[in-house]
Amino acid sequence: MTSYFVRRFLLILPTFIGVTILVFTLTRLVPGGPIERMLNEAALAGSEGGAVVSSGFDGRGGSVLSDEQIAQLERYYGFDKPVIISYFEWLGKIFTLDLGTSTRYTEPVWETIKSRLPISIFYGVATLILTYGVCIPLGIVKAIKHKTVFDNVSSALVFFGYAIPSYVVGIACLTLFAANLEWFPLAGFVSDDFDDLTTMGKALDILDHAVLPLIAYLAGSFAVTTLLMKNSLMDNLAADYVRTAIAKGMAFKRAVFAHACRNSLIPLATSFGNTITLVITGSFLIEKIFNIDGFGLLGFESLVERDYPVVMGILVISSLLFLVGNILSDICVAFVDPRVKFGSGGSNQ
Amino acid sequence: MSLLNLNPQTVKQLKRFRSIKRGYWSAVLLAILLALALVAELLVNNRALMVSYDGEWYFPTYARLLPGTTFGLDYDYETNYRELRNKFEAAGEGNWVWMPIVPYNAYENDLTSDRYPPYPPSFEAEHYLGTDSTGRDIVARLVYGFRIAMGFSVLLLIFNYVAGIIVGCAMGYFGGAFDLLFQRVIEIWSNIPFLYVIMIVASVVVPSFLTLVVVMALLGWTQLTWNMRTSTYKEKSREYVSAARALGAGNVRIVGSHILPNTIAVIVTFIPFSIASGVTALTALDYLGFGLPPPTPSWGELLSQGTNQLQAPWIVSSVVVAMVVVLLMVTYVGEAIREAFDPKQFTYYE
Repeated sequence: MTSYFVRRFLLILPTFIGVTILVFTLTRLVPGGPIERMLNEAALAGSEGGAVVSSGFDGRGGSVLSDEQIAQLERYYGFDKPVIISYFEWLGKIFTLDLGTSTRYTEPVWETIKSRLPISIFYGVATLILTYGVCIPLGIVKAIKHKTVFDNVSSALVFFGYAIPSYVVGIACLTLFAANLEWFPLAGFVSDDFDDLTTMGKALDILDHAVLPLIAYLAGSFAVTTLLMKNSLMDNLAADYVRTAIAKGMAFKRAVFAHACRNSLIPLATSFGNTITLVITGSFLIEKIFNIDGFGLLGFESLVERDYPVVMGILVISSLLFLVGNILSDICVAFVDPRVKFGSGGSNQ
Repeated sequence: MSLLNLNPQTVKQLKRFRSIKRGYWSAVLLAILLALALVAELLVNNRALMVSYDGEWYFPTYARLLPGTTFGLDYDYETNYRELRNKFEAAGEGNWVWMPIVPYNAYENDLTSDRYPPYPPSFEAEHYLGTDSTGRDIVARLVYGFRIAMGFSVLLLIFNYVAGIIVGCAMGYFGGAFDLLFQRVIEIWSNIPFLYVIMIVASVVVPSFLTLVVVMALLGWTQLTWNMRTSTYKEKSREYVSAARALGAGNVRIVGSHILPNTIAVIVTFIPFSIASGVTALTALDYLGFGLPPPTPSWGELLSQGTNQLQAPWIVSSVVVAMVVVLLMVTYVGEAIREAFDPKQFTYYE
């Protein structure tokens, strides 16, 4: 078992290299890379009356760049070497935890990413808590009250959430509750006057902004988790050991909560590890919709602006989280279910 | 002939599918919608279905471009059939124009009104769901967007299925080094952050319809492959395979005509869900601006317009309703197929 997980952790490296080399090569094949973008910006600034916007890159920028300066720039960002060499240079820097410098903000990529992380983590953790906090009780109630009015009504809702992607839910919520009914603010993580508010006011302000995005996040994971909980609890309730417990005279409630529930949580554990990636991957569309200045929006903006160091930095972090999340899921399963044995004949499954 | 000689198992599954009313009627309705979308030019178009002019009949829908001079107008570019209709009606000389239900196509900007678009829904202007922010009719955008999204998903499905079935079957059937190699490949592949990489690719090469299908297929073939591998693996150890081999059947014959028909449940069950995820992914990409190039009609592009124009709620609401209806129906069909092929899975105990 331990050797299985060690092997899994070692396999992270080739996978990681595979993913990053693919994307890195792609970003180098592009016309209109960051240098060209800078040149355009510089030219634009020049034509608009000489205001120097591009003071960022070490003072080399100006209204017009000479060939020498362009070459210098290319050298600075490593665009002058063949792809494979600059990839390994980049990879070497990654191993020393240096993600490079953003071409847009001209500050270290890690700083840029770090400043966005708290917001994404807030939403990630809140979604995690809410998903499990709502779905597990709901699944239990649905299993016990199977085929009643409550079950059927909530099933319709769950099915809806299952069929409709979360970004559509987000857009619908935004239009209805924020734009038309004006119950909630339109966008952002906090209001403009956030700094002037009291602590209580600040908390309320964050909450006020968080309601709609959280609904959208929840819609994504809600249905699957609830149905998983319901179905696995029903399977367990039908199992012999629960029937035995009730036949012995145990109260139904106790049989459900003390015996069946615990075993029903096992399937949920399979997806637990992946929820840490929700911090990154799940937030793309929703952050864009609600204009929340988090990790996803940063990735989106960097792509639009062709700020490839940031794009690669985000890819590094999200793919690492993804890989670790998968392994974490397996560890969770092994932890809650002692019957599971990884590594022995696992290739046949 | 073989279609009429369905085996009893298939007949049973079809019956079971038909008995699930919600799924069955969704399938019927979806089929009708798809059929209508295929002939969308007859329903939503700025070309007339039929023009009667000076005793002659014209059918411009699928014909060559008819210049305005054909109908006695003073211009050489394509006839504006809406204006022509009004002119004929005003003149009252027995000429007439029969327009489609929605007399706009998905690309034309209707800027005839004296206000700025987006225009709200209006029966008078025949913009039944209003227009978008450049004055294009929303019904037209929705209908043609639906057709493109569905065509996209079906094409994507075919790509994924060809790769998935061939590689998956080979992995399960041959096993050994081939299986191990592709297991690793799939493991790497399924760890790629899917949407993000497509966006990176789309920001590099402005995607055409086909490149987008190829890119998404390149990233999306693993799921079916894995399922096909598992079921082929299971089937391979059954007696009928040994029997076929004892009779001298070759590998291709065993896989193609013996194992594959027995994995049909996996193949069929995946179809609706692949379609739904294809539509969802394409719309998401279009919404973010990394999908099909403008001015291709697309639901995602409408969604993004709608969220930028919140004072025009008819844009968002039409797309959201359309998406909800279509995706719900597809999912109903999917659930019904799954239940028809595998009734055990949803049997509940007392």
